[in-house]
Amino acid sequence: MVGVTCEAITKVLGDVKAVDNLCLEIKPGELFFLLGPSGCGKTTMLRMIAGFYQPDAGRILFDGHDVSRVPPHKRHTGMVFQNYALWPHMTVWQNVAYGLRMHKVPDADQHRRVQRALDLVQMTVYAERIPNQLSGGQQQRVALARALVLEPDVVLLDEPLSNLDAQLRLDMRQQITRIHGEIQRTMIYVTHDQSEALSMADRMAVMHRGRVVQVGTPRDLYTRPRTAFVAAFIGETNLLSGQLQETGSLLSVHTPVGVLQAAPASAKLTTGDAVHCSVRPEAFRLCRDAPAPTATTVNCLPGEVQSIMYLGHHEQYVIRLPQDTLVKVVENNPLVRTAEVGEQVYLLCTPQDVVVLPREAANA
Amino acid sequence: MPRWRRRYQLTPLTLLFLLLLGVFFALFMLYPLAYVCANAFVVQERFSLVFFKLMLTNPTTRTIIVNSLNLALATTLVTTLISLPLAWLMVRYEVHGKGLLNGCMLLPMIMPPFVGAIGMRQLLARFGSLNLLLLDLGFIDYPIDWLGDGGFIGIVIVEALHLYPIMYLNLAAALANVDPSLEEAARNVGASGLKLFRTVTFPLMLPGYFAGAILVFIWAFTDLGTPLIFDYRDVIAVQIFTMVTDIHENPMGYAFVVLVMLLTLIFFAVSKRFVGGRRYEMLARGHVVSAVQRASFDMTLVIYLAVLGVTALALLPHVSVVLTSLSGRWFFSVLPTAYTFTHYGSVFAHPLTLLSIKNSLFLSSLSTLLDVLLGIAIAYILARRQFPGKGLLDAMAMLPLALPGLVLAFGYIGAFSGTLLDARVNPVPLLIISYSVRRLPYMVRAAYAGFQQTSVTLEEASLNVGAGPLRTLYHITLPLVFAHLVAGAILSFSFAMLEVSDSLILALTERYYPITKAIYALLGRLADGPYIASAMGVLGMALLAASLFLAGRFLGRRMGELFRA
Repeated sequence: MVGVTCEAITKVLGDVKAVDNLCLEIKPGELFFLLGPSGCGKTTMLRMIAGFYQPDAGRILFDGHDVSRVPPHKRHTGMVFQNYALWPHMTVWQNVAYGLRMHKVPDADQHRRVQRALDLVQMTVYAERIPNQLSGGQQQRVALARALVLEPDVVLLDEPLSNLDAQLRLDMRQQITRIHGEIQRTMIYVTHDQSEALSMADRMAVMHRGRVVQVGTPRDLYTRPRTAFVAAFIGETNLLSGQLQETGSLLSVHTPVGVLQAAPASAKLTTGDAVHCSVRPEAFRLCRDAPAPTATTVNCLPGEVQSIMYLGHHEQYVIRLPQDTLVKVVENNPLVRTAEVGEQVYLLCTPQDVVVLPREAANA
Repeated sequence: MPRWRRRYQLTPLTLLFLLLLGVFFALFMLYPLAYVCANAFVVQERFSLVFFKLMLTNPTTRTIIVNSLNLALATTLVTTLISLPLAWLMVRYEVHGKGLLNGCMLLPMIMPPFVGAIGMRQLLARFGSLNLLLLDLGFIDYPIDWLGDGGFIGIVIVEALHLYPIMYLNLAAALANVDPSLEEAARNVGASGLKLFRTVTFPLMLPGYFAGAILVFIWAFTDLGTPLIFDYRDVIAVQIFTMVTDIHENPMGYAFVVLVMLLTLIFFAVSKRFVGGRRYEMLARGHVVSAVQRASFDMTLVIYLAVLGVTALALLPHVSVVLTSLSGRWFFSVLPTAYTFTHYGSVFAHPLTLLSIKNSLFLSSLSTLLDVLLGIAIAYILARRQFPGKGLLDAMAMLPLALPGLVLAFGYIGAFSGTLLDARVNPVPLLIISYSVRRLPYMVRAAYAGFQQTSVTLEEASLNVGAGPLRTLYHITLPLVFAHLVAGAILSFSFAMLEVSDSLILALTERYYPITKAIYALLGRLADGPYIASAMGVLGMALLAASLFLAGRFLGRRMGELFRA
């Protein structure tokens, strides 16, 4: 198993800094995700790891060896392309065997390994088809087999599921996770789909404008985002701007809608700093009557229901707080409506649900 | 690797190739042109316009220039009149057998006009088939001078009947591109019929029209073969041809060539400006309305009559060539009075004809090989690499489209005389190079289209599993663009076989005559010369038709795109 290190990588494409002084440490055997909106530089970074681009500055290391100047055909990476890139003039079998042929693997060996790779992705029965006769999902699996058959040091996946329909996408997530477990190889997976990343990743990096904003486990990034961008990009959130008043075992933030108590922040903050408070819609609890404050529900905001949307498994309210601030609240498994449009309500949340973020990072 | 080379993905191999290419273009395109210019403008080591003053003041040369312009203008006009209604019928009506009709439309283009002219002369001569037929039927009492003005009308007819498919392709594409909702909007405010066409549809087609018109105009303006066959000497092309023999004594030849170059450039610039300035963004199509309607029975009849009628007319000269090649006796009669195959026998027995066929096969094969190699490499670099000067390379590879063969060949004769490549000593190298330079744009376009259709990721996927760049090219890229390459190669080969102006000008001794020059030489001979020439012409047509059919099989519907501007 091979670890991948990116040291201060910069890449300019045209006039744009696609990747900007990026550092990453990917551990051996990890299923690592690069997540970000389109144009954030994640595919550019992946292509540099594959060797299709060379970094303008910085180094890429595989297990400590500098591979920045190694051409793509000598890197031992296995890439799955977004459009699969199956060669239309070859059968499924020939597509998978091509790399072995290029490495002059003996025929008997070739046969065995292609067979095993096709078995792994459950495509053995289609071996003699040509790519045009396969569905998108099948092509996807052939592309995966082709990337895996050479037992590459690193498997690179460039938005592999983006061309599949929703049901198939869910199915393939499980397949890829299973395959990762079976082959025990480092995988780097690029996507803009946060639910893909949250459900599959060992660890993930969120990218924005060519830089890594935060690295961590899915749970880390969802519950403890370090910037407003991460908070808003992964899941939905309400951002309330305010000013830090008190630090200590609990932070207290003065906002236009009232004072919020929050758990200590990961970023270094001092009294008087401009901050954002991020509260997930599902973290709010909706009450019709003002409750007595307890130790766990210290935050209580009065508001008025502006609109309600019923979505089956949950119900989404938009609440108007003082100063015309609007927040979203989600109630899961809604058997009955808690409040109707126009009613006065109270929003409760615990300090652990309020994440305090530095304000200037909002547009980083 | 230096930063700029990394940025532009330039391997040493690519750099070396670009360098060699630069030398090739400089030597065989720019240098001959510069040489011609130098000789036209420099008199006794000083810049002078004396030849041009002479050319424009001398009444004889003035007539010659005016004749050439008139010829080109008349040809363009006639092709427009033929093609516009046909394009309208074919684009706006859905009719059974449209593919077949479209094939018919392209047929005349593949028939070499050089050969057609021979037949046309036979048909329209003072005592040619047409006049004799009309006399026999009693419609006229005296033969009519169809060729008019010493052959002017005949040339216009032959060229128009050869070139209208080019106009048609461009007009049809332009018309198909006009958003039907724009016409509907015009109808909605009260325009209809011809008025609608004149005020909305045609103005929207103008860029396409000009693209076609400029090709036709320049082709007719610089065509050498047709006027030569009609023995119509007062046009620039023929003048230049005759001046090749005394190229060192008479600098007027250079001046004429420069004039052709300048006029060609001006025409292209004007049309580009016109086309460029008026490229309309058609509206986005929300609700796609189609202007195509099913042809009624009557309309179907009209369409078939129009297309087949024009095609038949265009093929008439070639039919006449076939008849000539088969005729034992054809003298003062509508049709030959006796038929024979002996002329075909003579083609393979006669030393001049046999040698010329061998020469042409040899020259065309080598020039095609050169085209294929250069074309693949240029197209690949254009499609797959980023580098400064890419636009220049593209322009250089496409320049021969705008460069009349006449100009290039004349430049070669002058620029390389006294060197290793002197055409009077041995024209073979220059013939090969001129054939391939002139057909390079077709090859580059064909290969480029192939590379464009082949996603880069297919190559990257191959690199990713360990195949080096050359092995990727061999295993992945070339197999995927193979059909395009074959089509391009077939086109280059067949056009080289029947190339006229380069062959006539560069091949100066009988030993090196290619087919076209041999045909020309035979025509000048009395007795059976014209018959054998016709037989060779028929063989040439058969070859061209067969190879274009093959190319069409490989390229399918995209064939027409090669002939559009």
